[in-house]
Amino acid sequence: MELLCLEMDTIIRARPDPNLVCDDRVLQSLLTIEERFLPQGSYFKCVQKDIQPFMRRMVATWMLEVCEEQKCEEEVFPLAMNYLDRFLAVVPTKKRNLQLLGAVCMFLASKLKETRPLTAEKLCIYTDNSIRPQELLEWELVVLGKLKWNLAAVTPNDFIEHIVRKLPLPKDKLALIRKHVQTFIALCATDYTFAMYPPSMIATGSVGAAICGLQFNSEDKSLWGDNLTDLLAKITNTEVDVLKECQEQIERVLVSSLRECRQQQQQQQQDLAGPRSKVVEEQDQSSTPTDVRDINLTEHRLAPVGGRRAAGPSRWVVPQRRRLHQRVRQ
Amino acid sequence: MLDLYIDAMSFHQRVLRSLGNGPVRRNLFGPVDREQLQLDYHRSLRKDLEDASRRWGFDFLTDTPLEGGDFQWEGVLGTKVPQLYRCDMPREDVLGYSGKENVSHALDQSQERTPEKCSRSLKRKQTNITDFYQAKRRVVATPRKSGQ
Repeated sequence: MELLCLEMDTIIRARPDPNLVCDDRVLQSLLTIEERFLPQGSYFKCVQKDIQPFMRRMVATWMLEVCEEQKCEEEVFPLAMNYLDRFLAVVPTKKRNLQLLGAVCMFLASKLKETRPLTAEKLCIYTDNSIRPQELLEWELVVLGKLKWNLAAVTPNDFIEHIVRKLPLPKDKLALIRKHVQTFIALCATDYTFAMYPPSMIATGSVGAAICGLQFNSEDKSLWGDNLTDLLAKITNTEVDVLKECQEQIERVLVSSLRECRQQQQQQQQDLAGPRSKVVEEQDQSSTPTDVRDINLTEHRLAPVGGRRAAGPSRWVVPQRRRLHQRVRQ
Repeated sequence: MLDLYIDAMSFHQRVLRSLGNGPVRRNLFGPVDREQLQLDYHRSLRKDLEDASRRWGFDFLTDTPLEGGDFQWEGVLGTKVPQLYRCDMPREDVLGYSGKENVSHALDQSQERTPEKCSRSLKRKQTNITDFYQAKRRVVATPRKSGQ
């Protein structure tokens, strides 16, 4: 009896099946079908009127936090974002219903991927009870209909093992690399720029970014700079230039995200210090960072790969999102 | 920075913290308009059903084939189909209470999906991977047949 109780408390996770991971036909099949699960076109231009990219980012961030706090399987969040994007690509949605949609997408993704899925009640609590379980269940049906019940979408996570397996990486670093790649994939899913990218490209770019970031003192020259990109491009049949651009974009999002965090910390410190005018706050954002070491090293490390410092779409999202957060907080 | 990258968890936490702020439990975009939500919900279900009817030339509410559709429909005894496809509740419930909807609506959709899959696999019949899939499917189907 006691044993039974203990078992109930352990989440049983399936280990990767070598028959699937080591078979190239699986990778080829994933590459063949992945396009089917991409959203149909960039929906902020054509479909959506009430919602904007920074709102997608708000709901995505919230979803990621919920998945983290509930210790969901890694692929639940990217899969939920795939559902969200596919739904938004076909259904004009009101801003006030966006969080409901996000909750429904997590609900579905969790049911598909987890042995103990998130409950409707729990998800509703995370919306601060702004939605009811009944509404969640009803809209689950609507979303399922719009997705044509095609839930087993290909996510970037599906490619991680297939890619990592083919690289001459030190065995003791594999777990670390995997975790980094998953973090990059989650980061990409929060950014609308990547919504139309094939999952294989996001996965390949994330592996590239993780390995570059970790900077092994590897003897193996195939893990250096362009060699690595060439190797990665071959594995997932991606064009080298496109892959390079994708990796740079991932790195830009990371940098801007960390920078934003630093600014927020500053903001909080200022808030603690006492009320100040908006003008002063904005000026302060360009002053010396609280944690110079972090940001400088990030940029320094990313510069050789990133090269160009073009203002990507993720950049202009940042200030808008900040302002909205401030409004919400007030 | 070195620590940030070397320790996967701290990198992960750091990125996460950079994205999120405040308590996870929060209402993002203000109150939901419940009445409108209900209306949208019913409208959406009705539209899904209409689309399915048009596509399959079949009225799923009255369980009757429609005139001029692309398909020829044949009645089959309920006892002859697998449990999954049996639907003992009245059809009017499709647009009613959600507890029951899950079943009947799921039925409509799963019928819709099957032919699509077939045409797809036919298209890719020449590739190795499809051969693999088809072989697998046959294996799954065999024991069920012999079991019946």
